[in-house]
Amino acid sequence: MPTTVFGFSPLLVALVTLLTPLASAAVIALFLRRQGSIASLVSTFTAALIAAGGLSLAYTGARFTDSADWLTLGNFTLSLGIKFDDLSALMISIVGVVGLCVHVFSLGYMHDDAAKARYFGGLSIFMFSMLGIVLADNLFMIFIFWELVGFSSYVLINHYHEKQSAADASKKAFIANRVGDFGFLLGIIACYYAFGTVNLSDIAAATVSIAGVDTNVIALLLFCGAVGKSAQVPLHVWLPDAMEGPTPVSALIHAATMVAAGIFMLCRLEPLFAISPLALDVVTWIGAGTALYAALCAITQSDIKKVLAYSTLSQLGYMVAAFGLGRLNIGHDGLPTSAPLLAGAAAAMFHLTTHAFFKALMFLGSGSVIHGCHHEQDIFKMGGLSKKMPLTFVTFTLGVAAIAGLPFLSGFYSKDAILHLAELNNFPVFVILFITAILTSFYMVRMWKLVFLGTSRSEHAAHAHEGGISMTLPLVVLAVLAVVAGYTHGPLSVYGHAFDGVWSQIPHAEGPGVLVMSLSILLVGAGSAFAFYKPGSVDTLQTKSPAVFGFLVVLKASFDGAYNWYVAKVQQRFAMLLDFLERIFLSGLIIRGLSGVVGLVGIGARALHVGSLHAYVYWFLAGAAVLWAFAGGWLN
Amino acid sequence: MFSHLLLLSIAAPLLAAVVIASGIPVRFAKSVAVFGFSLPALIALHAWYHFPVGIGGDYAYLTAYNTGLHELGINLSLGLNGISLPLFVLAGLVGLAAGLYAIQSGAERIKTYLALLLVMQAGLMGVFASVDIFFFYFFHELALIPTFIMVGIWGGKDRGYAAMKMTIYLTAGAMLSLLGLIAIYVKSGAENFDLITLRHAVLENGIAAGVQTYIFGLLMFGFGILVSLWPLHTWAPLGYGAAPSSAAMLHAGVLKKFGLYGLVQIAVPLLPSGAAHWVQPLAWLAVAGNILVIGFITIAQRDLKQMVGYSSVMHMGYAFLGVATLSSVGAGGVVLMMVAHGLSVALLFLLSTSVYHRTQTFDLNEMGGLAQKTPVLAAFFVTATMASIGLPGLANFWGELTIFVAAWTFSPLLTALAISGVIISAIYGLRAAAKVFFGQPTEALTKVLAAQPATDLRWSEKLPALILIAALFFIGFWPKSLSNPLNDALESVYSAKVITAAAGQ
Repeated sequence: MPTTVFGFSPLLVALVTLLTPLASAAVIALFLRRQGSIASLVSTFTAALIAAGGLSLAYTGARFTDSADWLTLGNFTLSLGIKFDDLSALMISIVGVVGLCVHVFSLGYMHDDAAKARYFGGLSIFMFSMLGIVLADNLFMIFIFWELVGFSSYVLINHYHEKQSAADASKKAFIANRVGDFGFLLGIIACYYAFGTVNLSDIAAATVSIAGVDTNVIALLLFCGAVGKSAQVPLHVWLPDAMEGPTPVSALIHAATMVAAGIFMLCRLEPLFAISPLALDVVTWIGAGTALYAALCAITQSDIKKVLAYSTLSQLGYMVAAFGLGRLNIGHDGLPTSAPLLAGAAAAMFHLTTHAFFKALMFLGSGSVIHGCHHEQDIFKMGGLSKKMPLTFVTFTLGVAAIAGLPFLSGFYSKDAILHLAELNNFPVFVILFITAILTSFYMVRMWKLVFLGTSRSEHAAHAHEGGISMTLPLVVLAVLAVVAGYTHGPLSVYGHAFDGVWSQIPHAEGPGVLVMSLSILLVGAGSAFAFYKPGSVDTLQTKSPAVFGFLVVLKASFDGAYNWYVAKVQQRFAMLLDFLERIFLSGLIIRGLSGVVGLVGIGARALHVGSLHAYVYWFLAGAAVLWAFAGGWLN
Repeated sequence: MFSHLLLLSIAAPLLAAVVIASGIPVRFAKSVAVFGFSLPALIALHAWYHFPVGIGGDYAYLTAYNTGLHELGINLSLGLNGISLPLFVLAGLVGLAAGLYAIQSGAERIKTYLALLLVMQAGLMGVFASVDIFFFYFFHELALIPTFIMVGIWGGKDRGYAAMKMTIYLTAGAMLSLLGLIAIYVKSGAENFDLITLRHAVLENGIAAGVQTYIFGLLMFGFGILVSLWPLHTWAPLGYGAAPSSAAMLHAGVLKKFGLYGLVQIAVPLLPSGAAHWVQPLAWLAVAGNILVIGFITIAQRDLKQMVGYSSVMHMGYAFLGVATLSSVGAGGVVLMMVAHGLSVALLFLLSTSVYHRTQTFDLNEMGGLAQKTPVLAAFFVTATMASIGLPGLANFWGELTIFVAAWTFSPLLTALAISGVIISAIYGLRAAAKVFFGQPTEALTKVLAAQPATDLRWSEKLPALILIAALFFIGFWPKSLSNPLNDALESVYSAKVITAAAGQ
């Protein structure tokens, strides 16, 4: 193992990689507010540096840990540190590559934006925050950067802040994440007291020796964080709304990296979850539920970004479910293994990786489409773009093929690993994920056909055009990765041996059965969508089967409806009620002090002097009892 | 070199106030005021930078002055330990920001206004520099009286009622605290009011547990009123809603911390078993009352300034919870929280006033879309909101986090309830930011803007805001700068003996 990265200490490289985007954001905020073009170059250069730093750390095999105390009070010490193993090496590579692609794409996509400096400053602060999560060696540090990615997401969703919908969406995203973080922070503190540490390696070590402690509650509390950040049911509602942000942001933050941070965090805590079987079951079912629910919602969407957003939700559910499936005690040869395979975590990370590439590809592709169609996002107003935007068409098609699980593309391998694991560990979940896979190829092909095939259905689509090189190049890079990212070893692999620690744990199914399963998913899902949907300005499902369509729409709206009802009818009314009581009771009675008391006594006195003899007798008896009690010393 | 700096930090603003009151022209008065506000801030930063490491609970820069009252056991004894240093710095910085904001405010009778603020500033520096608890109290009163006057004269709507209510409440709170402080002095058997002597005397002789209980009760409710412990808080939103911005900044930001500081520095360490008797009611009032009830009430506010006032009351709940843990982690968290909250609430009052100057209203339902005209103001306001809702990278996060960590050993249930407050504060904070700045302007605001187009922050408004923002970021990134001296002092002030006494109940 080399001790240096191109002659520099790995720690130095990691710190420079981590802190450069912070510096970039600071420079943009302080000096480049009005120089959008310079700001965009500073930020993109920073992204290139992150990619270079991250990849060189990952591929030179530098693996290390280091930390420094940051705050000490009494017996409590919070430290900031780096844990750089194969898992974080993989994650930093994804963040670096996708981040750079998105920055370059943004140069073209956001070229004419009036608030370019704020946008690129936001991207830089996001990169900083995300790298912090990736490198963190303890839970408090993860939490710190966890909140910061939430903040950058807030800023970027709110980029078009003059739109009420964007303002609402950003607020919703932040608050939904805060709800998850409430549990997360509680879990971290509980973890701190249960294990005496929040250091990831120390927790892993402690799980071996700990006995008699129920870790299920702690694990579930920590999982709350992932539910918020990775948008799992019931906190998923913020992600579709987050599409109000600029499209490259959706690609980077709301598809490839930040929303995947929840899964990454779970994988960081795999040993803790491994001894919490109940929590793992909950995780699996939440994930599987999200996967199926979001796939159903995606079918009726007409906004190209919303289709992709629900698809992201669904795929995140896939990853979460995979993680929850847990370890595997059977090796590739079908025999029990000596050491269990960390199959769930590895399968989740594998799918996270391939998904990052093909989903970022499709989001950027949709950005290219939206840009080409003059900000038209309705797929029923597109059509025929395959001829107008051939490069976008080809790359987007590869993305669709990858997510649909076309054999030998990346999604085929990663989805397959999950299905295989589910089949072994939890058959009902396997069935759900199998159905989800069919639905995935169904709604993807639906969108693909409506956007690219047929004839143009609007003025904008008729005049669509490809973007410049800065927008097409990232598409090509990501398309190549979407094809090859599934090869974890062998001649086509782009990974070398850098991530063997993760890849070696992936459960692999062999044989023709896999191919048959994937092809049948593809044929049923994609084939039926291709045959069913006709290019037109209305949804074919809506005309052919209004009942099914209506049900799906209601299904989609149910959560938002429930939350809106809660906010308007419960939370706001409760707040108003307390405010009213505060004004009347506290401000009126207690503040006015004596005069208030006199008034009260007056009211009481009137109530007492009802003129009834009985009442006087009762009050006399009561008073005598009190006096007697007092004299007897019982009131002291 | 250091020997008289602390005295100078008190004397300079007083002197400046006297000079301004002597009737010099306005433009000179402004320069004198700049001097009077800058010097304490510079001294505070200087004292912070040079604060000696490893002195434990001892006082640095300790100097005593004979006031002729030593017969009564009263000496003007100034010094800073690790607990008072952060607050001394807070007083200096917020004072400077509030002062600069007042100078550009264009208030009527600006000279009187500045002179009163300077007197207040002198009192604030004195509160946290005093080692003698008589002067600790005296300086508090010195700062308090100008507050009432400023609310009464320069206040907004309901200023008469607000000033009266503040006066009644805060005077009552101060009286109760004074009784408690005197009781400590009498019962400790010490020969003077010096906190160092008191500490020694208490450690040697001890105060009977039953006596401690009633003294701590006096202090808890006395200080509690001053810090707006629920349900004794109602003066605060009303008062802050009416107070002129700089007075609100200084009071909510700094002076209010007097009570918490008294609890952390004096009451808990000297009366640990008395404190132990009261912690359950204190923690429940703090969490159920301040955090949850007031949190929801904050959500219902329509008036921006009242909302900031209520949010400040809510955040005091965290601080009281930290006090109730009776641990050095909790106490340290309270001190960090006080500093951070002081900076952020002062910033919010400042920016709210700047918003008002552009919208002519504090009504959140009549604003909207202001960010299009004033991007810098919007960015500052979002920063202040994020600070106040505890975003990492800004100072407030550290205080909240350490209080939560400390609270877990006290009661996991209360910890969970307290942490749910972070959701509540996100709701009202982001709602306010969105209502003021994002979306499109309401009809009412469009009319106002048509009559008087909004311009972004002027440098004279930016500078005081930037001072506070810089401090929030600095502590947010480098909490050690405060926590190292703080922890040093806590280890000795919250020594094992004190903690055991508190646990003994």
